Amino acid sequence: MGYLDGFRVTFNRLFEERVTTEYPQEKRPKPERFHGRHVLNRYEDGMEKCIGCELCAGVCPAQCIYVRGADNPIDDPVSPGERFGYVYEINYLRCIHCDLCVEACPTEAITESKMFEFSFANRQDAIYTKDELVVDDDGKPQRQPWELWHDGDDALTSGWMRATAPSGSAAHVGQVGWSGELGYGVRSPELGQTAPSDDDPDGGQG
Amino acid sequence: MTDLASASEVNETGVNITINGVRVVAPKGELVIDAAERNGVYIPRFCYHPRMEPVGMCRQCLVEVDTGRGPGLQPSCMLTVSDDMTVDTESETTKRAQEGMLEFLLVNHPLDCPVCDKGGECPLQDQTLAFGPGESRFVEEKRHYEKPIPISDLVYLDRERCILCDRCTRFAKDIAGDPLIHFMHRGNETQVLTFPDDPFNSYFSGNTVQICPVGALTARPYRFRARPWDLAEVESTCTTCSVGCRVAVQSSRNELLRYEGVDIESVNHGWLCDKGRFGFESVNSDQRLAGPYLRDVNNSDQLVGTNAALEAAATAIGAGRGGGGVGVIGGARLNNESAYAWSKLARTVIGTDNIDAQLADGLSAQMVLSLPRATIADATSADNVVVIGTDLKEELPVLFLRLKGAAQSGRIKLTELSLLVTGLSKHASASHRYVPGELAHAVGELLASNPQLASGSTVVVIGRPSAADFPDEVEAAVGVLTAGLPLATFLPALRRGNVMGALDMGLSPGVLPGRVSLDEGRDWFGSVWSSLPGEVGLDTAGMLEAAAAGRLDTLVLLGADPLADVPDRDLVERAFAGVGSIVAIDNFVTESVKRANVVLASTAFAEVGGTTTNLEGRVSRLGQMITPPGTARADWMIAAELAWRLGGDLELESLAQIWSEIEAVAPSHAGCTLEVVEAEGAIEGVVVPIPKSPDLAGAPSGPASIRWSAPALAEPPSVDGYSLRLVARRKLYDAATNTQMAPSLANLAEQAQLMVHPGELRRLGVESGTRVNVTSSRTTVVLSLVGDAAMPRGLAVMGLRQPGLAASELIDLRAAITELRIESR
Amino acid sequence: MRFFTSENQRLATEIIGRYPKARSATIPLLHLAQEQHGWISDDAMIEVGRLVDATPAEVKGTATFYEMFKFAPVGKYLINICGTMSCQLLGADHLMHHAETKLGVVAGGTTEDGLFTLEHAECQAACTEAPTLQVNYRHQYRVTTESFDQLVDDLAAGNLDGEIPPHGTLGRVRQAIPADKSVGAVPPTEVDGPPVWLAVEGAS
Repeated sequence: MGYLDGFRVTFNRLFEERVTTEYPQEKRPKPERFHGRHVLNRYEDGMEKCIGCELCAGVCPAQCIYVRGADNPIDDPVSPGERFGYVYEINYLRCIHCDLCVEACPTEAITESKMFEFSFANRQDAIYTKDELVVDDDGKPQRQPWELWHDGDDALTSGWMRATAPSGSAAHVGQVGWSGELGYGVRSPELGQTAPSDDDPDGGQG
Repeated sequence: MTDLASASEVNETGVNITINGVRVVAPKGELVIDAAERNGVYIPRFCYHPRMEPVGMCRQCLVEVDTGRGPGLQPSCMLTVSDDMTVDTESETTKRAQEGMLEFLLVNHPLDCPVCDKGGECPLQDQTLAFGPGESRFVEEKRHYEKPIPISDLVYLDRERCILCDRCTRFAKDIAGDPLIHFMHRGNETQVLTFPDDPFNSYFSGNTVQICPVGALTARPYRFRARPWDLAEVESTCTTCSVGCRVAVQSSRNELLRYEGVDIESVNHGWLCDKGRFGFESVNSDQRLAGPYLRDVNNSDQLVGTNAALEAAATAIGAGRGGGGVGVIGGARLNNESAYAWSKLARTVIGTDNIDAQLADGLSAQMVLSLPRATIADATSADNVVVIGTDLKEELPVLFLRLKGAAQSGRIKLTELSLLVTGLSKHASASHRYVPGELAHAVGELLASNPQLASGSTVVVIGRPSAADFPDEVEAAVGVLTAGLPLATFLPALRRGNVMGALDMGLSPGVLPGRVSLDEGRDWFGSVWSSLPGEVGLDTAGMLEAAAAGRLDTLVLLGADPLADVPDRDLVERAFAGVGSIVAIDNFVTESVKRANVVLASTAFAEVGGTTTNLEGRVSRLGQMITPPGTARADWMIAAELAWRLGGDLELESLAQIWSEIEAVAPSHAGCTLEVVEAEGAIEGVVVPIPKSPDLAGAPSGPASIRWSAPALAEPPSVDGYSLRLVARRKLYDAATNTQMAPSLANLAEQAQLMVHPGELRRLGVESGTRVNVTSSRTTVVLSLVGDAAMPRGLAVMGLRQPGLAASELIDLRAAITELRIESR
Repeated sequence: MRFFTSENQRLATEIIGRYPKARSATIPLLHLAQEQHGWISDDAMIEVGRLVDATPAEVKGTATFYEMFKFAPVGKYLINICGTMSCQLLGADHLMHHAETKLGVVAGGTTEDGLFTLEHAECQAACTEAPTLQVNYRHQYRVTTESFDQLVDDLAAGNLDGEIPPHGTLGRVRQAIPADKSVGAVPPTEVDGPPVWLAVEGAS
């Protein structure tokens, strides 16, 4: 009867909590500061935050970002100020999601979402242009046909999620150092900086 | 005893100073800021620029200096070294002063570095990081101005970024001589501005952008085009004119984006003219010729592959070689190596001496190559400089800057002899006018009335005064000069990019590479070149006349546009009608290229390396930065391919190998090996011929250099009281292809007009600006007539090649002068 | 059309002649231009530049440094009310407020009839006589609101024309330098040799 002993192990496991996730039908929650694909944020009035300064391209260790600035049209400006990001491209065949671009950005224009599940059928699709990276009119990332999204995957994508302390200085803890954004306004700081965040009831601590 | 002797020796040459505890010797009169930098101690600065007088505006270079009366803060850019001076650039006091200055400079600076073109290469950014306090105590609202405001067609000004260092305004006043920008208002309101409706239209305005230590001045062609970390850079030599300024060529993603002047002592001191600085736009033009095409009998263009085009070109040239002859016009655009390849192709494979890099608007090649040559350094340190003929400000702007600077400092005595008032006139000790056709006589009078020219060193800058006059006039004048001033040296003011290199490589009839004549060099070249033409060929004018008479089968246009550039349009039209076929090698479809049967695309500036030669004979490196468009190829490759298809072989394989062949066969270039030209620290270039070292004196030398004898003095043409004599002058911005293909420069060219003294207007009874009929021996045209008190009586002045109408329509190349009759319509 | 009147043109030439270099006459000529019109227009600066061989930008750069050159039309009478300490302690603020009400303009403005321009000023060096004001740079001492009203009425009626000239006129007596003391710079040529006055002094 020795061979039934093996089934006993299997039988016992049937009543334990399952550790398998039915990916991709369901996903495990990701850490808040997970580095996924980028989004380009906009201000509350709809203007783009990117000013085409190319600091992200300059700092990128994988050289996957291509940016070109141009003079803002006076009658129909794309961003506040005199310069805007005219070309913005990220090559996801090269990007290593190190987030240095997000650190370098002086206007919190580029941030990373938690979305990483995208596969391309060709190299062209791997290059995300500005049309695909800029958030939509609700301030949410635009979904591409080849991206796998579940509900809530597009939350917490903004400049609020910068890994550094606001203003970069410990002396300014608690002072909101980020600008307002389309769809959300100015978000409050995380718990531990001052008040609980309104994005996450746990204040990012749970 | 020995100690005393060495101490006094030091006193002869310099003074002992102590910089940060290290004793160093500095030459007398050196500024502390320079002495420190020479000894590896960098003192931060904004207003100080080594090529301009110090003003001590920015106070950033304050350091603690003790001259025996105790330490105190002194601006090191205003203080010369003195014996036993102690300088401390790292003391607490110095640091506090420098931090304080930076905090003040940033009080109103917007810190909009991410959108500022200077961000990433900004002295204010860099020095704030290195010497700044890190934080500011100023929390007040910063100043705001309308931004940016254009102060000229090429330069934008962001006043809020300005730190009032006085660099641009000093440059405009002292270096360029165009004080059109100035500090206005006072105190907190101080700003740099132009007068309303009087823009900063200087030929040198781009330099202010380069020397601005913040992003206050930006260049329109570069604005927001790239950031410094995008740019790849190579050093090269500008070939817009023949001065040969050193430039840093910068590109991004295979597109030229910016030129910056490189400071070399012997030529440009870091300055560039705007035409050179912004001319790169023509290289990027989408109208560049990207591949070859053929034009068939129905006058329709047919794009073909390079092989088919080369085959067609070889067939056309071969037909000419077997029949009525071949002529090659142009070559001043080429680098030295390509010029040599074409010289060799024409002489050995095609077997013709009909080759000329000048378009009948220059000077005699024999004369230019045989005159004792001066350098720019000679001209700026000579006792006397005589400028004859040209308006250097319009034709060779940076040479103008150098001579103007030398004249202003009182180092040289500048005498000018020209048809019109030029940019140099007000800086010259004496400026004389003469009448077209009487240059040689005017030179004779000048020498007779200025005996001091014969004493001391004299440099003569000589160019073609007016394309409307017969070139013999200049030769006769030089004859008078060489007779009267046997020790004088000459700077030939020819203007096309590498025209001097082309002449050195033998792109002129009767001239072989290395400044030898065809006859004298026959034996020497016979041993390296397979064959040589039997007799001296035709120059451009001769070729065009032969073609017009049906005596020339094939014309090769080597980057030349004779229809636009030869000062006799009628002759060129007849030549093009009479010639069998035309092969054109060019960057653009110019007016003349449109008439060609076979068109080959060639490389432009920064698309090929090699060397170029400036008007001093200075050989310097060209840098390749980008790849040429489409199937455009280097001119020397086209020559080599054509030779092969014509049944010959030039045996030229690479630029380096061509240069070593040039060094070996061209007597004037002996010793100028690639190693010498490329040597570390050779950014100044190498002036050829290189003086022979004594130990090589016995080595076999090549043929004697070319000789030239002045033509006899002709009688001045008689005066026709009813006519005005035409002066066809060059302007910096004109209808030339490379200017028109650069969008920023294209609309700076003035429209064609005829300028006369207001007295002539009264005589004709017309208002200034009236359109009149202008008749020469060639044709009648309609032009607007403008009065200008600066014009001498009896002359009618127009640009040789301004948009609207070229003066070449009116000129007969074989006439000594061009007379115009003007009638109201 | 010349900018200067023929009399002023003659004066301009004479003024230039006082200096070794024509350029030195820039500020005196600007005063002359301001005297002619009460303010300095762009045309004035272009003309001065032409006379002293400077670009208009250089002339404007020099002129705008000085507070007393005006670059917009000024009323016939420029009233400067001192607001520095002594005057302020003795009621300058009240006086300014009164003046603004009386003239119907705020400080810096010009009345609609073009007669008065009202300005704040710093110390006028008459602290013992505070509060003071100046009309076309002529002092009025211990001004009260009543005396201010009286002053304005008198000015408007022309009662003080003998005493206070229109704006721009600087001196009651025009400086005259005899011809033999002139060093003879002539517009617009530059003098390249040593200054002529050096030679004059050496000779005497």
